Amino acid sequence: MTELISELEELCLINGISGDEGRVREYILSRIKDRCETKTDPLGSIIAVKKGRKPGGRRIAVSAHMDEVGLIVTFITEDGFLKCAPVGGIDPRVVFGRRVIVGDKQIPGVVGAKALHHLSGEEKKKAPDFGEMYIDIGAKDREQAMEFVRPGDSVCFEGSFLRFGRGMIKCKAIDDRVGCAIMIKLICDEEFDSDIIFTFVVQEEVGLRGSTAAAYTAEPEEAYVLEATTAADTPLSGGEKKVCRVGAGPVVSYMDRSTIYSRELYEKAGAAAKELGIKWQTKTMVAGGNDAGAIHKSRGGVKVCGISLACRYLHSPCCVISEEDLGDTYRLVKALLERT
Amino acid sequence: MENSEIFEILEKLCVPMGVSGCEDMAAMAALELLAPYGEGHTDSRTGNVMFRRAGWKEGRPVLLLDAHIDEVGYIVSYITPDGFLKISPCGGIDARTLLARQVSVYGTAGGETEKLFGVTASIPPHLSRDSSAAPKMSDVYVDMGFSDSREAGEKIRLGDYALIENGPVKLLNDRVSSKALDDRAGCAAIIMALDLLKDRDIGYNIAVTFTVQEEVGTRGAVTAAYTAAPDKAIVVDMSFAPTPDEDEEECSPLESGVMIGFSPFLSRTMSREMAETAQRHGIPFTYEVMAQGTGTNADRISISRGGVPTVTLSIPERFMHTPAEVVSLGDIRAAAELIAAYAEEGAAEE
Repeated sequence: MTELISELEELCLINGISGDEGRVREYILSRIKDRCETKTDPLGSIIAVKKGRKPGGRRIAVSAHMDEVGLIVTFITEDGFLKCAPVGGIDPRVVFGRRVIVGDKQIPGVVGAKALHHLSGEEKKKAPDFGEMYIDIGAKDREQAMEFVRPGDSVCFEGSFLRFGRGMIKCKAIDDRVGCAIMIKLICDEEFDSDIIFTFVVQEEVGLRGSTAAAYTAEPEEAYVLEATTAADTPLSGGEKKVCRVGAGPVVSYMDRSTIYSRELYEKAGAAAKELGIKWQTKTMVAGGNDAGAIHKSRGGVKVCGISLACRYLHSPCCVISEEDLGDTYRLVKALLERT
Repeated sequence: MENSEIFEILEKLCVPMGVSGCEDMAAMAALELLAPYGEGHTDSRTGNVMFRRAGWKEGRPVLLLDAHIDEVGYIVSYITPDGFLKISPCGGIDARTLLARQVSVYGTAGGETEKLFGVTASIPPHLSRDSSAAPKMSDVYVDMGFSDSREAGEKIRLGDYALIENGPVKLLNDRVSSKALDDRAGCAAIIMALDLLKDRDIGYNIAVTFTVQEEVGTRGAVTAAYTAAPDKAIVVDMSFAPTPDEDEEECSPLESGVMIGFSPFLSRTMSREMAETAQRHGIPFTYEVMAQGTGTNADRISISRGGVPTVTLSIPERFMHTPAEVVSLGDIRAAAELIAAYAEEGAAEE
């Protein structure tokens, strides 16, 4: 468990927004290259095949995405401020007043907007949108800013890894480095009967794009998608709108906005959890979506199973999951792969 | 003093927690930095840092250098049944920065103060319909990772303090971003001025006050000024540096130097003397003209006891009252140099 948590920490602290996953990929390859056959596809996804003891059964894939949400520099103002657009679904309200890291040179900056003291009464009721915010890297003018940053550079949130409260973990990019961490450990520490194809994919947050291509290449018959999913179990939401709860076990999905999951695999996952004595849950709203949406429609069709960690404050620099859920999700996925 | 040394002072001053009403930790850090230059202590009734420069001689006029030691933050006002905290602002906090932030809570329920971490709750974009409305304080909950109020209650009591902690980081051009630069950068300027005056025999007795509770209504300055009983006062605080959406008439750019205050509440003589001193010494400065009060401790100090001629020196700052305030080390230096030059010359004339 300690290993899994430190693996997650390593992974989350690497910066890699959609389309700029290179650093995450290099790290993952360094971890798994001696344990399986790997190749990198033209879009940058890793397709890794772990040989089984008794190969020749169904083609099984496990998938997680490497990318995280962030911002991209679109324009540099004459006075040296960076204008940005979101990459992936980000609430502009979680961006203001944050510290960020810009570009390959990893330049620190802060996201600003008009000071509170100068807002009119009406303006105070509105949150600044991306167009009204800018990144201050301390540059004097455009020319100086251009020495350090270019339009098209990636912007990542600065986020420390923190364990707090009762077995909680907080970091940026838990969505979906937690899936990557589980897959790395499965590759390095476990043995299965079947061959298993592990796909670490790019560009999930901008429309399930990496998984579309990777699923074509991997050509699975059955796929397990490991994700972090929306838990709204805070006082801000009530009843079914809490969707799922942190600490209540792995989330096995029957349907979300991108996929109706294989009922057979849904039942199988529930039964496996029961057998292992692991508490599990499902979502109380049809909300969100993930790579399963692309994978289940790949080639002639793929049976998909969605297994997720309940994660609070998804797509913010402060994602929160529970250590217990992490351990239980790992055990459940491992058991499912042993039964293929 | 090199810019790197000013940055080190900021690191020592900005990191400790000092939310209005709970300034002890920040005050301790400030007292340590003041120690080489004279005698200081924390006033037991108010928490104000009271300091006298070495070489104090009875009969000399007292020049007070004031900055506030407190910072904006939060106080825990309710614990929900499921163990989340409701917090209330201490000072004019920018609630727009409050979603999905790591928060430090200084819990006292266990006896000793224990620093705990939490995250302010937000609704993820997948479920949120309207992201254009600014978050309201009443909608902010802090997730401490506890299961219920009983578990939370073992660590945290109502009245405990909370804040978003962002220590100093250097940006380009010796610009610095941190929480609490308002007004620890002012404290830093005063400390640097004392360093510039070190071992100099000047005509003033120099008193320094780093005052509490400025952000909740310039309260600490009322009692500090009474106790210090100065003949003149210089108040160092933050003002606005322009960003793309600000009215340039209300701001002075970063690196434009120190802003000298002109206001009906201030001593016109001192304001003019400051500008002349800056000019003589080639210290960069701009004018900060305020048609009403200054909104700083100067408004209180100037009417302390029988009245105190007071001037403000401001350091231009971006993104005030967010955890990512930005200042320039050069502007702190300008404020320090002007204070030192004024302290040396002003007294010679009397």
